[in-house]
Amino acid sequence: MKLQTASETISFIKELEEKAATFYEELAKRYPEKAGDFLSFAKENRKYIKQVQMAYQSVITDAIEGCYAFNLESDEFSFDTNLPENATLAEAAQKALQIEGKIINCYSIGVEQSGALLADVPRNFKIVVKKRNNRLDRLKSFTGR
Amino acid sequence: MAVLEEPIKGVPMVKNYIGGEWVESKGEIIDVVNPVTCETIAKVGISTKEEIDAAVKAAQEAYPDWRRTPPVTRARYLFRLRELLEENFEEISRIQTQEHGKTIDESRGETRRGIENVEVACGIPTLMMGDSSEDVASGIDEYLIRQPLGVFGIIGPFNFPFMIPLWSAPYAVAAGNTVIIKPSSEVPNSQAKLAELVEEAGFPPGVWNVVNGGRTVVNGMLDHPQIEGITFVGSTPTMENVIYPRCGATGKRVIAQGGASNCLVIMPDCNVKATIPSLMTSFFGNAGQRCLAGQNLIIVGDDNKFYNSFVEQVTEAAKKIRVGNGLDESIQMGPVRDAEKKQRIMNYIEIGLKEGATLRLDGRKPKIEGDYPDTCFLGPTIFENVTPDMTIFKEEIFGPTMGIMRAKDLDEAIQMCNDNPFHNGHAIFTSNGKYARKFQYEVISGNVGINIGIVAPMAFYPFSGMKGSFMGVLHTQGKEAIRFFTESKVCIQRWF
Repeated sequence: MKLQTASETISFIKELEEKAATFYEELAKRYPEKAGDFLSFAKENRKYIKQVQMAYQSVITDAIEGCYAFNLESDEFSFDTNLPENATLAEAAQKALQIEGKIINCYSIGVEQSGALLADVPRNFKIVVKKRNNRLDRLKSFTGR
Repeated sequence: MAVLEEPIKGVPMVKNYIGGEWVESKGEIIDVVNPVTCETIAKVGISTKEEIDAAVKAAQEAYPDWRRTPPVTRARYLFRLRELLEENFEEISRIQTQEHGKTIDESRGETRRGIENVEVACGIPTLMMGDSSEDVASGIDEYLIRQPLGVFGIIGPFNFPFMIPLWSAPYAVAAGNTVIIKPSSEVPNSQAKLAELVEEAGFPPGVWNVVNGGRTVVNGMLDHPQIEGITFVGSTPTMENVIYPRCGATGKRVIAQGGASNCLVIMPDCNVKATIPSLMTSFFGNAGQRCLAGQNLIIVGDDNKFYNSFVEQVTEAAKKIRVGNGLDESIQMGPVRDAEKKQRIMNYIEIGLKEGATLRLDGRKPKIEGDYPDTCFLGPTIFENVTPDMTIFKEEIFGPTMGIMRAKDLDEAIQMCNDNPFHNGHAIFTSNGKYARKFQYEVISGNVGINIGIVAPMAFYPFSGMKGSFMGVLHTQGKEAIRFFTESKVCIQRWF
């Protein structure tokens, strides 16, 4: 589905972040030795939701091209969180990396599309992407590679 | 995407808020209709002369204590109101969409703009400071203090039911005045919600009043000797023929903001990719129902290749606009406010055709997303071959239409802007600083856009406007609003 308005894009991003947060909470239960990391990821995701929501509600004005700021294809960024029951930590981390890749991609393309139009929203998208890079390093270390 | 939940449930009666009490009007009761579904979502009274008189009395009685309330304390009421507005941000926005039809993005934008005015007015202790000069003559000092005046009337339009009264009201009460707001009877719910929050914020009774209705209320405000001034936003004929002369006749100060037929000038060197979304918002946002909307697109130069390519891209973008219920997050354009307004716009389309313009895109039978009656819906309409002598250039259409014109050079484009009877928000799109500066310097327009399609000033700048778009001297918003809502008193003193 095409996402064109700021409202539906922000709602979609909230869905992605929440789904990923729930996934990390599940991983925390399955892999207690890394529970601290996974729970911190989940907490961060929910902070990102607030950050993006705040940026949107702060910057959206009647002079901003809110209804025409994006042209995202939501299917490209959708992901499932299914993990086999006997999945190892390395496999779980690999799955998480795939999810992170989808989310980062969504933010990054969103920055390109709305960069000239929505001011503070793409700026905050960039901040979220930058912060996520630390997480990628951590997840990679769990894969044992 | 799912349709967001409607905040107005059942069919509530929208009451007046007078002297801190919620009072049902004794006047005729009319329906408030959602233009998407055509269902009645509320009822509102058309208040009587007695009711506006009662509001003036309440505001007059509240004034002496309120003006003596220190500005820092008055600011604290506004800070509380500001917090409540943030807490209720989403509900306020959805009310606007439900009663007006605009998209949820547009409503949230309107809510934000309204809140920003409250935020600016919170600075009243600084904003209201006067001036002083020591030793204007030896041993004699002179200083200026700003004092409130009394009761002000605020007359709001239908197109921004929440925001526009906030261009005035926060500044008026921050400065120590009391106010009576008359919202458009077509969209009274937003101001009712705002008044609920004013009450919750603890403003003393009578400081902030809301009287719903129509001409009787407006006439009652204009004629009332105890109303010191009026701010009005609406059509130019009402501004010119009713508001401004009547305020003059009764000695009221006035800010009167009227209509527009804004011109957006396209230079061949503009950033086309970034310009197109700006044009979509400018011409078709809020279904074209804003005094800063683009109405005329002037493409400069004799390069037919650029012209054809640009018009093609604009048309393709306009064709893709999703029209429907603004509470559906994927919708980019809602309906116009009512069937009468739709008919008025359709009449202008007919006039345009009769006068020789041609239709590049006909929005009279739009594709509507979702199962809704087409009563109030129009799609984007694009005219070509529009000339400055045509009615669709000279009059305000106030709908989702774009009239494409050509100018041989920037000088001619600026002349076309300046020949337009309205001068509210003309804009230029260019990558050339010299063109931009020339445009800014020479164009007659209260608000000037450079690569901005909707030239809406932030709350700390005045909402300007010139000639057919404005009557008065000072404007709403920011420091000019403070000057409007205060009297300058100059004191000269010496001590023997």
